[in-house]
Amino acid sequence: MTDYGHDLRFGSFITPTNADPQRVVQLAEAVEAAGLDLATFQDHPYQPGFLDTWTLLSYVAARTRRISLSGNVLNLPLRPPAVLARSAASLDLLSGGRFELGLGAGGFWDAIEAMGGRRLAPGQAVDALGEAIDVIRGIWDAGDRTPLRIDGTYYRVHGAKRGPAPAHPIGIWLGAYKPRMLRLIGRKADGWLPTLPYLGSLQALADGNAVIDEAAAEAGRDPRAIRRLLNIGGEFPSRSGERLFAGPLPQWSEQIAELALEHGVSGFILASDDPRAVAVYGEEVAPAVRELVAKERA
Amino acid sequence: MGTTDHGHPLRFGLAAPTGDPQAAVELARLAEELGLDVVAVRDEPDGPDAWTLLSWIAGETNGVRLALDGLDLVRRPASVAARAAASLDLLSGGRVEVGLAPDGADEAIDILRALWASDPTPVTYAGTHQRLAGATRGPAPAHDIPIWVGGAAPDLAGRAADGWSVALDRVDADARRAGLAAVDAAARAAGRDPREVRRVATLSGPADADELERLARDEGFATFLLAAADADALRAFADVAAAVRARVAVARAAAGVRVGSVRSAAVRARRRPGIDYDAIPASLAERAVEPGDARYDAVRSNYLRGGSPGLVLRPRTTAEVVDALAYARRHDVPLGVRSGGHGVSGRSTNDGGIVIDLGALNRIEVLDPATRRVRIGPGARWGEVAPALQPHGWAITSGDHGGVGVGGLATAGGIGFLSREHGLTIDHIRAVEVVLADGSVVRADEHHHPDLFWGVRGAGSALGIVTSFEFEADEVGELGFAQLTLDASDTATLLERYGSVVEAAPRDLTAFLVLGPPRRGMPAVATVMAAVDSPDPDTIVERLQPLAGIGPLLAQQVVLTPYPGIVGSPDPGPHQGQGEPVTRSGLVDHITPEFARAAADFLHSGATYFFQFRSVGGAVADVDEDATAYAHRSANFSAVAFGLSRQRLDAAWDRMAGHFNGSYWSFETDRRPGRLLEAYPAATLRRLCEVKRRYDPDNVFRDNVVLQPAEEALLAS
Repeated sequence: MTDYGHDLRFGSFITPTNADPQRVVQLAEAVEAAGLDLATFQDHPYQPGFLDTWTLLSYVAARTRRISLSGNVLNLPLRPPAVLARSAASLDLLSGGRFELGLGAGGFWDAIEAMGGRRLAPGQAVDALGEAIDVIRGIWDAGDRTPLRIDGTYYRVHGAKRGPAPAHPIGIWLGAYKPRMLRLIGRKADGWLPTLPYLGSLQALADGNAVIDEAAAEAGRDPRAIRRLLNIGGEFPSRSGERLFAGPLPQWSEQIAELALEHGVSGFILASDDPRAVAVYGEEVAPAVRELVAKERA
Repeated sequence: MGTTDHGHPLRFGLAAPTGDPQAAVELARLAEELGLDVVAVRDEPDGPDAWTLLSWIAGETNGVRLALDGLDLVRRPASVAARAAASLDLLSGGRVEVGLAPDGADEAIDILRALWASDPTPVTYAGTHQRLAGATRGPAPAHDIPIWVGGAAPDLAGRAADGWSVALDRVDADARRAGLAAVDAAARAAGRDPREVRRVATLSGPADADELERLARDEGFATFLLAAADADALRAFADVAAAVRARVAVARAAAGVRVGSVRSAAVRARRRPGIDYDAIPASLAERAVEPGDARYDAVRSNYLRGGSPGLVLRPRTTAEVVDALAYARRHDVPLGVRSGGHGVSGRSTNDGGIVIDLGALNRIEVLDPATRRVRIGPGARWGEVAPALQPHGWAITSGDHGGVGVGGLATAGGIGFLSREHGLTIDHIRAVEVVLADGSVVRADEHHHPDLFWGVRGAGSALGIVTSFEFEADEVGELGFAQLTLDASDTATLLERYGSVVEAAPRDLTAFLVLGPPRRGMPAVATVMAAVDSPDPDTIVERLQPLAGIGPLLAQQVVLTPYPGIVGSPDPGPHQGQGEPVTRSGLVDHITPEFARAAADFLHSGATYFFQFRSVGGAVADVDEDATAYAHRSANFSAVAFGLSRQRLDAAWDRMAGHFNGSYWSFETDRRPGRLLEAYPAATLRRLCEVKRRYDPDNVFRDNVVLQPAEEALLAS
């Protein structure tokens, strides 16, 4: 039983297919219209059937007024961290603090290498991500007048000018499944953003939280500083053998509330390209979950 | 003097300030408001991110071109930048231009062009800065994204780029002229026309009209960007721009300078004979697509038909349609007119000819809520019309596919899921605006050009180009929509029962039946799609029950849906049809036992893979047969068959043809003489010929309804 006490945020995970670009934009607009908090897009820069996620995030941010936006998650190996940091700060400034930085270490190395990226072993990729976070935070720290110097194994910055500073403290949320990445979250990140079907079980969620909490404590951080988010939408057998997110709406709300109260998840991102599902999620499920959780917390 | 006026259309724009992104966005919006052509954002290594800012500006503007200037593709992967630029071009409707920093620009150009190309082979590249190991190409941008390179690389600009960009305050006049000469020399050395390279000048201070005119006329600069710090500076620049445009236009006219953009040698090499590409009217040149253009694959073909036109013109206004038609008429090549590109009889593409694509004339506007009068452009698609009308509680009966264009359907007939209740699509037209063969624009309705108005409704493709339709929509709420799957082994009995059930049903039922032949040991199968114009479940069940009983029911699905749920959305992406559709069409009043047997034999002949019976009748028959050029008002069913072999389909169809008393031209692709007389009975065809002689005496519109000499003889007899 863990509840980190974060406010609840509800979002959507949209496929950035480029066959009909305006439909993707309309889906994001539907997220805003449904009263949800967050629109996210996966990022596979080697995939020619998708729109470039950074371009899409910027374009959609200009077309919306209230929702936050994030990659889910951005591909670090093809997005140099210094450029990414300035881009993220720029988008946060333009959007009035509506950007969050979902980030991943990369996984499809053949495709990354085909695009000119550097192939790393999984462990190296985690270390590279750790260095990248230092670069990103260093660039954002415009209050520090000293030029940024980072002499990493994977990323080196020699005296770069810092800034711009983002409009709000952008959360760095990592897509992570294995202990090394989870520990990195505990040490340096602001959020955990896995996908429920990839986790496979609620036990994996509990185990991951424990690894993150322990690493955070070792680093002298409060585990509550780390938001837990979750991509949902797939079906899988839960502990009791029931199927999650396959039943009637009240059941959905109860299951999500349980994830919030027992597993500390405070961000629920629905994978759907159906505007009707997005509307139901925002207009019916999210308010019901908020009510259930508020009642329990009180 | 290194160079002179190259005749590029002049463009003026904003070089956005880089420090404060919000200020840049406000100036960009103002630039669009002022009618400037370009907003450029400069990539500075230490500032806010230029690509983010440009993408944001794209989201806040509608028409202005978006240029990323000085893009450094050493600092970020060129492969990702290529996809990003193509993505922004797709999102923004083809407004992106890319200016590269000189350092590493040669390799960056290779990577950008390689990834934008429509080519299935992967890209491998081993350069100093860029290394690709089998990257998949794509996406293709919405238009050929021009690539400029910065001032220090005039040789590269001349050899490989589409533009050369120079900051006027950073080079003196001599260096600038030397650069211009180097661009020209490098272009010629590479076998290019120097006019392929646009000259872009960025000004830091207030602009002087005399100076800009001189730069345009004497040095060939055609794009002027002002690094404006505030709104007043930009407003002043817009005034200067207007003056310079006017002066240069006068000077060009006097000097006989041809105005237009020059396409690259590679694009020109793929041009088709018989088309005067250099004479494309200025209003259309920018959006015209020719075989060498990146956009060509997206516009060459239709839903059911492959094409290789020599030129696709894409007008946005009635005036541009007039220009396009005047231009096309000067050519002796095939001419197609396209709205949605779903035509069966209407080709709307060709081999080596000209296509006028009306896709951009796609406005949908309510004219009068009280009379439900709406005006719709021919390029709108029915899958866009339905959701636009639904909030008003209205619908216009259309076809059965959301991708079908308004223009094609509304000039042919329009047999959809509301036909028995509300008639044909053409029965809802109250007026049309038509561009005639002689270039005049007329409004036709019951009182003005009544003969033209009569002919447009059923044979419009032969008479002119309709540039807008005024429809009276119907009040339509939620409907029941069913899909029933039935065993059609006893094809004749099933068909006969289908006929009697539909004819006996109240008008709120409209049904389409599709027969598929037996395959691999499976029996013939019938799929009935039926709409019941009622939200009442009991009524819906009452109407559907008899249909479910016309044969052994295998599966059923019924939903309650507003009309857009029946029409569906247009398919995303461009049409990729190939070959030619092979179809036949027939209209019958009743499905008699004899006809049902003949139709069963036809289905089992193996000549067809799709044999459909749409119900007409009802409200369709309320209209007099001489009221429109669609005359077969007594028919209760419209049959259409698709086959793979022209010969086999015709042979099998001809055996049952005696049972039909007409056809629907829109679904007919047999071009043997006599077919036209089946679609248009003699009285209709005579009148149509008269109207045609008056409005299109030179037979400019010959892509669809074409009277052959043998048919003329039949008519005369």
